[in-house]
Amino acid sequence: MVALPGSRGRRVRRPSAREAGTALLFVLPFLLLFAVFRFGPAIAGVVLGFTDYTIGGETGFVGLENFRRLVDDPTFWSALRVTAVFTVLSVPLSMLASLGMAMLTRRAFRGAKLFRSIFFLPVVTSLVLAGVVFTWVFAEGGPWSRAMGAIGLPAGSWLADSVLVIPALVLVSVWSRFGYGMLILLARMQDIPAELEEAALTDGASAWQRFRYVTLPQLRPALFFVAIIETTVSFQVFDMIYVMTGGGPVRSSYSLVYLLYDQGFKYFDLGYASAVGVALFVMTIIVALIQRLTLGREE
Amino acid sequence: MRVRKGLSAVAVALVAALAATGCGGSDSGGSGKTTVTMWTYPVIFDEAKHRAHWDETIKAFQAANPDIEVKTEIFPWANRDQALATAIAGNKGPDVVYLIPDQLPKYARNIEPVDKYLDEATKSDLHENVVQSVSIDGKMMGAPILTSASTPICNKKVFAAVGETTYPTSWNDLLTLAPKFKAKGYDITAYVGDAKQTLNQTFYPLLWQAGGDVFSPDGKSVAFNSDAGKKALGFVKQLVDGGYVDKSLITAVPPIEQTRIAQNKVGCMWSTPVAEVEKFWGKENIQVVPHFTDTRQIGYGTVGSLSMLRNAKDKEAAGKWLAFATNAEQTKKYDLASGFFSPRKSTGPLFADDPVLGEQEKQVGASTVGPLHEKARDVQGVLSPEIQAALLGKKSVEQALDDAAKAAAPLLG
Repeated sequence: MVALPGSRGRRVRRPSAREAGTALLFVLPFLLLFAVFRFGPAIAGVVLGFTDYTIGGETGFVGLENFRRLVDDPTFWSALRVTAVFTVLSVPLSMLASLGMAMLTRRAFRGAKLFRSIFFLPVVTSLVLAGVVFTWVFAEGGPWSRAMGAIGLPAGSWLADSVLVIPALVLVSVWSRFGYGMLILLARMQDIPAELEEAALTDGASAWQRFRYVTLPQLRPALFFVAIIETTVSFQVFDMIYVMTGGGPVRSSYSLVYLLYDQGFKYFDLGYASAVGVALFVMTIIVALIQRLTLGREE
Repeated sequence: MRVRKGLSAVAVALVAALAATGCGGSDSGGSGKTTVTMWTYPVIFDEAKHRAHWDETIKAFQAANPDIEVKTEIFPWANRDQALATAIAGNKGPDVVYLIPDQLPKYARNIEPVDKYLDEATKSDLHENVVQSVSIDGKMMGAPILTSASTPICNKKVFAAVGETTYPTSWNDLLTLAPKFKAKGYDITAYVGDAKQTLNQTFYPLLWQAGGDVFSPDGKSVAFNSDAGKKALGFVKQLVDGGYVDKSLITAVPPIEQTRIAQNKVGCMWSTPVAEVEKFWGKENIQVVPHFTDTRQIGYGTVGSLSMLRNAKDKEAAGKWLAFATNAEQTKKYDLASGFFSPRKSTGPLFADDPVLGEQEKQVGASTVGPLHEKARDVQGVLSPEIQAALLGKKSVEQALDDAAKAAAPLLG
């Protein structure tokens, strides 16, 4: 974990057994629910990845067969590539948008709260609904293609283009997600002692220098959190793709979770679908660890 | 000490709560009655009417079977497989469920064949192709209650605007009319290539019309890359390349109101149900035409049936219920209320006076439900993107179908 500024060096009193017991009592319901509805199914999912489980059939242990099948499955590699490209594009963009909007709305100017609420609105908007609207926005002859045409770029539908479909989906994803990151960063910004900026100002630091050397380092823990959340969400992208492109054109937007969904709920090959889920989990953990080593390291 | 006691109390309460929720079964409940649960979907669009139909049917059934209680639940069409598969996996599935042939192979291992619950008179009253449509390995996997025919439908308004009075009945007709429609700013038809769309309603009818099939007769390999398959895909590509159809529908399906179909810019459709276009075209502007012909005149249609799940608590009771719910009298009522057609010979035509449904009803015999193969859906999963690739010009027709066949081979073992 990353220590919050000011917490380092503070003596922490160890709770008594009674206090710990009381605390545990309060945590217990959540712990039980977590174990039953999250941890249990996750473990079951991993176990299923080693079986040939399908609805109503005999279930047998197949060892690493499903994972071997994954390695040989071109659809898996194509879905992995789509997911990776989507994540690489959407996470930084979403973080940049979150940071930019947080910077713009951090000051207490007239209407700041209204703007924050407006920017947060897409987060609470159904992705399915947003998908329907953006399908129209990106359609041939829709507002986006007209705007592209007006500035001399190709005016076709981005969703029908195997190269541009991912950028189009990334734009929708950033639109729907940046408000969440903005709120996290904003909360952290409010916590940065004003004296730090004032001192930098007194020393003649420019606005960029104050941002680069005062604000940004202070935001590191929050940025780490946002990066982890955004990466996880991007790895799990599905509903928006399902509504907007159905994984097309020609599987150009067919993500790993889409593959998992199809295998599990369309073809009922739940053992293989679980193997896809395990692969996705392992990748998410690896990327989170890399982020932990870079963004999340303690100063 | 107090904390420990408190913890024990919480644990006991939680165990009790879990036990209570785990005891929510749906059988006799000590009243001596057996309960049959049935899941169905909005076959009758108006939910109140649909509910009323089943309430009335249950009442009539219970008059003869007072010891059997029937509970029906009407779920939305969307994600129905997801809900049903999850329920079956959790042993919480219904006793009886409404299924169509496309679903039967995937659930086959969970279905109790219904042959022994239907009497011989019923079986011989059902149309031969209907029985075949719900049979796997010679066993009936459901008791048919309705049939449909997804015939092509044409928009009279569009034809009038183009100045055409004859409607197409073959691929040749479509190709002949296409330039005239294009010149006037209309599309002769539309091809929906989105991967979520079942090929049973889009590409397969063309494949069958060209004389081809999806699988080889023994089901061990695919056959869609035959000459007939190439001809069918070539036909769609001709429409796309000629600019005779809306290219955007190849890759995504927006809500129908955003399409040229709803904007009265498309002449004929073979994959869109009447109910979907009726409010945009007006029923009086819908012209039903027979399934298109190339070398064969054939199209897609479905058969709705009530299937019993293997885990049904009381199979005898469930069997009595589904036999009653699908008898000639109930079937007729259900089909008249839902606008579907009868799977039985004895009911005769139900919509002879209806200019739209009556014409579609005539096509039931020329309709097929698609392949009853365990891997039918998986094969669609590999074929759909390849069809898109061919239509978008990324691959040749031959290459796309051969690549799909290669991808399908491991699925079929």
